[in-house]
Amino acid sequence: MRKFLNGPWVLLMPTLIILTCVVLLPLLLSLWTSFTPFKLTKPDTLYRFVGFRNYERLIGDLDFWIAFGRTVLFLAIALNLELVFGLGIALLINKITYGQRTLRTLMMFPMMFSPILVGFQWKYIFNDNIGLMNNFLREFGVIQPIPWLVDGILANVSIMAAEIWSSTSVFAILLLAGLLGIPKDPIEAAKVDGCNSWQVFKNITLPFLMPFVFIAMTIRSLDVARAYDIVQMMTGGGPAKRTELLWTLISRTGYVDAKMGMANAMSYISIFLSIAFTFFFFYKLIEARQRLSYE
Amino acid sequence: MMLRLFLSLVLAVSFFGSFSAKAETELWGDFSGVTLRVKLIGGGQYEGLYNEVIPWWEENTGGKIEIVTQKNHFELDKEIKKDIASGNLDFCVASNHTSFASQYGNIYTDLNNIMPASVLADYTPLILEHSTVDGRLVQMPRHSDVSNLYYQKSLYEDADNKANFKAKYGYDLTPPETWDQVKDQAIFFSNPPDFYGTQYVGKEEAIAGRFYELVIANGGALFDEDYRPIFNSPAGVEALQWFIDLYNAKAVPDGVLNYLWDDTGLGFASGTIAMNLDWAGWAGFFNDPENSKVAGDIGLVRAPMGSGGLRTGWSGSHSFSMTESCPDKEAAASFLWALTSNKAQMIEARGGLSPTRPAIWDAIIAEKKAEGDEFMLMVFETFKMSLAEDAFTPPLIPEWIEFTNALYPELQAAILGDKSPEDALATASKKATEIMEDAGYF
Repeated sequence: MRKFLNGPWVLLMPTLIILTCVVLLPLLLSLWTSFTPFKLTKPDTLYRFVGFRNYERLIGDLDFWIAFGRTVLFLAIALNLELVFGLGIALLINKITYGQRTLRTLMMFPMMFSPILVGFQWKYIFNDNIGLMNNFLREFGVIQPIPWLVDGILANVSIMAAEIWSSTSVFAILLLAGLLGIPKDPIEAAKVDGCNSWQVFKNITLPFLMPFVFIAMTIRSLDVARAYDIVQMMTGGGPAKRTELLWTLISRTGYVDAKMGMANAMSYISIFLSIAFTFFFFYKLIEARQRLSYE
Repeated sequence: MMLRLFLSLVLAVSFFGSFSAKAETELWGDFSGVTLRVKLIGGGQYEGLYNEVIPWWEENTGGKIEIVTQKNHFELDKEIKKDIASGNLDFCVASNHTSFASQYGNIYTDLNNIMPASVLADYTPLILEHSTVDGRLVQMPRHSDVSNLYYQKSLYEDADNKANFKAKYGYDLTPPETWDQVKDQAIFFSNPPDFYGTQYVGKEEAIAGRFYELVIANGGALFDEDYRPIFNSPAGVEALQWFIDLYNAKAVPDGVLNYLWDDTGLGFASGTIAMNLDWAGWAGFFNDPENSKVAGDIGLVRAPMGSGGLRTGWSGSHSFSMTESCPDKEAAASFLWALTSNKAQMIEARGGLSPTRPAIWDAIIAEKKAEGDEFMLMVFETFKMSLAEDAFTPPLIPEWIEFTNALYPELQAAILGDKSPEDALATASKKATEIMEDAGYF
């Protein structure tokens, strides 16, 4: 006992207690509720164990799996486009010798808007009747208004546009930090050896940048659920579930229908999605670092 | 504890300008040192009442009101559900609604045991009945809500419109009496994308409620006596087909399935919509030239009839409830009375809202007559008749909101052509059956 009290465990105790209270207990509680028919408006249902009933229902629930698949697609497309645009912006800003700081600050503006506000403004932009986009197109002869937030593909593209506008700067900033840290010698040596710009980018800049790419991907894949507010504001997952993502479905099930047990079962299934993304990006991060150290 | 509540059985007469409503039973008391924590519905149309009534109540009782939350009703609903789950009901009074009240179990006090009968006698009995859940009066009604049809008068006075309509449809162009006529006229007036015949709220409880009232008007029903869904019926398909036909004919804006109440109200005020089914709360806004392009050109008729010969009349009342856990029930009762008193209801009636006290209907109609305000007089007389003869509530069951969440995506799918009306209603019916089975109805 004395050994325990004098050991490192004592120093770790405050952290462990806080982590247990803030992370572990809520996780365990929500896991428990996923095995109950817990309704927010009927607290007694928290104590009724129904085994895997919620999970069994979800396995046969086509709406849930369509929302799951759409969320994977949304994540894959949005994150990759944000990466491409962020990389492009970072490369351009890295070339600038005058006013770089000002541009870096300007670039961060979209991050300063709350997702709810972003949702509102893009809902207005894509409004079929009074929206900026349709009015702009009308100037070019497109008389019939385009139902941006109704058509299945266009509605998802519109939401993605809002999300990409809001979050591309996260990638740009992280990748710019990476670009600023790349040593100049290998680039200059490659140029002396006759490499063109593309060869320099592909063989020197990109390998140096890959750890930053995967760090940015990991961070974004974990906090991309912030886009819930954007989707909720723009379409609420509709119409006819055409833009339903896991976040809108879980939120409506848990807080509007008050079926928190079922919502938590959905969340635990979707956690595998987050874990898979995070594991993949960490694996790629380690691989990129190892490759960099070999080279 | 000594009853501090002092019920002024003097039946004080309240004066509203130069007009007086019927005498009312007042519920004042000395509540010095008492602070009531309250959670209220927020938004432009609701907050004016608080600005007037809260200082009035504080001044007359010595009590204090602490507004803990003020947000839109759907957000407030979520917050109260979280409060129930966490057992953290540390407030005394909250905004409520007849469509929401049955979800909240027994967190709210039975006001039959708290409010003197003479106070309750001042409200419309049918509205008090709708405010009752499982025999418990859990809310004091604030104002009622039913929808009637606003239209642009000049469209119906135009000689060309009259002649062309008669030639095309074979009957005279007059404000519609049936929903089939609404469809004909909406298609006739539409000139997209500049002008549309009508519009509807297109998502969530809003479209589910509109569908519900049309099913009833067509002679159908959502549920049988055991709460088994029966809306997948000829009346249900006919109701859904009405929405589909208008959408396909481009007689409503393309984005209508994302519309809620503000969108339809502002749409009509923008002058680009011929007819708009809406509540009385918009009337003043529609007729205000600063806000509305149709001001001075508005007609209003009772909601039209469906094929079953009934008028649509989906109705409910905004209300206030008192928590069972409230430590100062007498003060809370007094505040509930103040919020729904003659004075309070007259304030809201002047903004166009429909009172829940018969005396205020008489007072506001008398006031508008004396002012010569023909438009608001028409509004109040129409809504009074509609509430008396056409109004009906949705099923007052805890599963109503959950049911509407299962129904509305299927309605949208049919409107967008993703499914046939029969398939959509069959799917919705299956989901509704699961909800009712889980809730133990059968």
